Amino acid sequence: MQKGTSMLTPDIILQTVISGILMGCIYALVAVGLCLIWGLMEIVNFAHGEMLMLAMFTSFWAFALYHIDPLLSLPLCMIILFLIGVAVYFIVIRKLLKATFLAQILATFGLGIFLRYLAQFMWSPDFRVIKNPILSGNIGIGGIFVGIPQLVASICCIITFVLLYWFINKTEVGFALLATSEDREAANLMGINSHKMFALGWGIGAACLGVAGALMSNFYYIFPEVGFSFSLIAYVAVALGGFGSIPGSFIAGIIIGVVEFVTGLLIAPAFKYAFVFIIYLLVVFIRPQGLWGRY
Amino acid sequence: MKRVLGFLSSIAIILVLMSPVITSAAEDVKIGVIYPMSGPIAQAGLDNKHAIELALDIINTTKYKNLNLPLAKTEGLPNPGGAKIAVVFADHQGKPDLGLSEAERLLTQAQVVALLGCYNSNVTETASMVAERMKMPFFNPESSSPQLTRRGFKWFFRSTPHDETFSEAMFKCLVDLEKKRGAKFKTIAVAYEDSLYGKDSSRIEKELAKKAGYKVVADIPYRRSATSLTSEVQRLKAANADVLFPTSYASDAILLLRTSKDLEYNPAAIMAQNSGHTDPSFIEAVGKDADGIASRSEFSLDLAAHKPLVKEVNDLFKQRSGRDFSGTSARAFVGFFVLADAINRAGSTKPEAIREALIKTNIPADQLITPWRGVKFDETGQNILGDPIVIQWQGGKSYTVWPFNLATKDLIYPIPKWSERK
Amino acid sequence: MGGKSKNWIWLVVVFIILMIYPIIFTKPFPRHLLIMIFLYGSMGLAWNIIGGYAGQISLGHAIFFGTGAYTSTLMLMKLGISPWLGMLAGGAVSIGIAFIIGYPCFKLAGHYFAIATIAIGEIAMVCMLNWDWAGSAVGLTLPILPEGFINMEFHTTKAPYYYIAFGFLIVAVLITYGVDRSKLGYYFKAIKGDLDGARSLGINTGRYKFYALALSAFLTSICGSFYAQYVLFIDPDSTFPLILSIILCLVATLGGVGTVWGPVIGAAILIPISEFTRIQFGGGGKGTDLIIYGFLIMIISIYQPFGVIGLAKRFKKKESP
Repeated sequence: MQKGTSMLTPDIILQTVISGILMGCIYALVAVGLCLIWGLMEIVNFAHGEMLMLAMFTSFWAFALYHIDPLLSLPLCMIILFLIGVAVYFIVIRKLLKATFLAQILATFGLGIFLRYLAQFMWSPDFRVIKNPILSGNIGIGGIFVGIPQLVASICCIITFVLLYWFINKTEVGFALLATSEDREAANLMGINSHKMFALGWGIGAACLGVAGALMSNFYYIFPEVGFSFSLIAYVAVALGGFGSIPGSFIAGIIIGVVEFVTGLLIAPAFKYAFVFIIYLLVVFIRPQGLWGRY
Repeated sequence: MKRVLGFLSSIAIILVLMSPVITSAAEDVKIGVIYPMSGPIAQAGLDNKHAIELALDIINTTKYKNLNLPLAKTEGLPNPGGAKIAVVFADHQGKPDLGLSEAERLLTQAQVVALLGCYNSNVTETASMVAERMKMPFFNPESSSPQLTRRGFKWFFRSTPHDETFSEAMFKCLVDLEKKRGAKFKTIAVAYEDSLYGKDSSRIEKELAKKAGYKVVADIPYRRSATSLTSEVQRLKAANADVLFPTSYASDAILLLRTSKDLEYNPAAIMAQNSGHTDPSFIEAVGKDADGIASRSEFSLDLAAHKPLVKEVNDLFKQRSGRDFSGTSARAFVGFFVLADAINRAGSTKPEAIREALIKTNIPADQLITPWRGVKFDETGQNILGDPIVIQWQGGKSYTVWPFNLATKDLIYPIPKWSERK
Repeated sequence: MGGKSKNWIWLVVVFIILMIYPIIFTKPFPRHLLIMIFLYGSMGLAWNIIGGYAGQISLGHAIFFGTGAYTSTLMLMKLGISPWLGMLAGGAVSIGIAFIIGYPCFKLAGHYFAIATIAIGEIAMVCMLNWDWAGSAVGLTLPILPEGFINMEFHTTKAPYYYIAFGFLIVAVLITYGVDRSKLGYYFKAIKGDLDGARSLGINTGRYKFYALALSAFLTSICGSFYAQYVLFIDPDSTFPLILSIILCLVATLGGVGTVWGPVIGAAILIPISEFTRIQFGGGGKGTDLIIYGFLIMIISIYQPFGVIGLAKRFKKKESP
């Protein structure tokens, strides 16, 4: 019962694809953080969405209490989330390293619920919005409108991803991380402290969320439950890209963004998430390790 | 070792069964109130809680005896011997099955004499089923799904008008607007969140549109927790209807508006179904961007122009909760008074007596902060004197714009385009 | 042999207590509490078959619960068929679904399988939210029929519901016990322990994974049908959500995955805790109960990675010389 398709012109479709790519870059960065953590120690962080929520709130409170614009508080968000990631590792995750897959899922899931409702307790369930940040408004280029916050957000996400990629593949510390994820024992023998590496991994994964959250707070509303939908998409993105491949997760995130927006436009908005999941299932049935997965 | 575990489990169970539920004097008249206190709609539940606590204060004390509200002059309920009312709050978290079990628990463990709630229509549906099965009164101040009073229930009473009344009002407003301004509406679009609230409301809107001869050119349900509404707004833009009818809760209302701004979607008129579009958090988030959005409502602060009571009570509410009344909290406030008034006239806490008293309810308009002609129930338990109004956001504030005799400002039409507003 | 007969005595005692419980506690709420424990215990046991014994972590089990609830309800509402038959039909449909999703999914390992089950669960949710014939997001309200066993509706008292749920739990326990001791169970455990090893022994792992999933799906589906008859209202949010799948998984794990009594104990601990925290702290509007709930899940998962039964076993080891 979807009427109105007769008026869909090519530039509306183009507009949608572009919007999908922009949103996809954000999904991508969120997914990359998740992938890093998984790649390092094979733990799926089911509290990922809630940590994103914390990033958004950090950005919000910096604005509401100290009048720091989200763009300027981005480095602060990144650092705070880094510390939170490290703290989560030491307090919660370290004890789970030898536990079953199941116990890990449930523990991080419990952490997610705890954080979500703690946020509700402290900050009320109200929706918060940052009004008139530096990044606001839109640009129109030949009939295609692009929101400035979304545009800047996706550019920043890409930059962050590139920096991360460089860090992991071209620096000493990055090598150490890679080594630890490949073979923990061997890395230990080489003098790499795996606990430090894991903590670093969690910190960086969380820092990615810090960046994504700070950018999203420019145009999205902030409330304790906001993380859930984004985290679902992140799990699918990582699995689609292939667990263990960071570039894979990033590209998968963008693919998901485009699929969501385009199917929402052309087929049925109510089913757009179903299509995202269907595409995921199709890919994974044909290629079980994901598009670029390691195994 | 199963012993240890069995023992542990038994302790767990015993703890739950013995959990003290209320701490109030035995002679108090207890009312069970079930609202969403956690989850995405928790803010509405909290607002309602504050509204009810204010009502309790007014009824149980003589602090506000000058207000023209039922039972304000006395301390407590005069008829059951000056007993005070106590409220037991419960949280349904937006889940119908929790609403059901909480209703049961309150009625049987907490010795409440009646239930009040639940905001979400789907939770009200299940919770009231329990009351009906147990033959206890259930009072509903603000759920708007029409079928709630069409189940043949004898113990269910609702003070708010329902979606059909609301939607009829919206269409009447459009017709009046056509007459007054010489406008001509031909096409409409409906966009709605996909749960009971959105589906019911849009179904009625589509039926009424057909009857009135309007063509529905876009029918767009969306997931309330969607991370973006870009595709939806794109379709609305492509359909380019004369009037947009959104039905949203606060979060999606905010997202819908912002996305419309980003994509330069300029409907000439927007007619919303209250809830999200009149929620204080919505207007706080978007400010003047909401200008031009009209919505059916049961409350507006500017009603104080005709009825000073509105401002007096709102000031008290604001002191307590830091926010103004919204359509929802105002109705919860009124609903509580109706119930309390009925219990008072019943003179006892026997369910049948309360029910009889509810049937005979007749509260005049001047004792209500809502713009209704009064409160009187028909044989299905529905208040037939509830009149909706249409409000419109102008300059970041809401003003009554219809019916024209109650209006404090003119309806802005067409809504200025985004490019014109910069 | 002293230990074993001691266990039997305790079992009988517990059984008797549970049988007379509704006679002692006549108010609805205590009965409701135990009905929920029985229901979640049965579903935990069902999940346990595929997740605990066969080691395939499914995070989308709610799809079977919802299928059972909707199938029996739709058959009742549209065709007037008794829920007992509807329940069986629902079970059959669930087995069909298990077949359709099982075969492609079983090619996936570990995390991929888990996330695929999440994806399937969410697709089901979206479909149900938009399927108008089945009520879509509005849900289905079951007709209030005259009380009776055939209609599986009881209005004046919860006691029959209690005994039916108790019966289901006993059946689930017996089935699990049977699986545990049988060749079927042996194959399941082999698949969990070492998939390639099992294959090299000639076990058709795909087929046995399917058997595990089908059995699990059937049991979960029956519970879904019961739930519909108990609450008399179903909608996609209450029967297909991800959080339900996670709770089923949690119930089974908490008490000890891969054991006969683990899920029962898991339910007996988890359900009262969630009810208790909600009653004591929930009404305030601050979500305090859920903070505690999340915290408890975390603590229990971290410090008891092998479930409560594992903990008990460790006590036992310490006791014996």
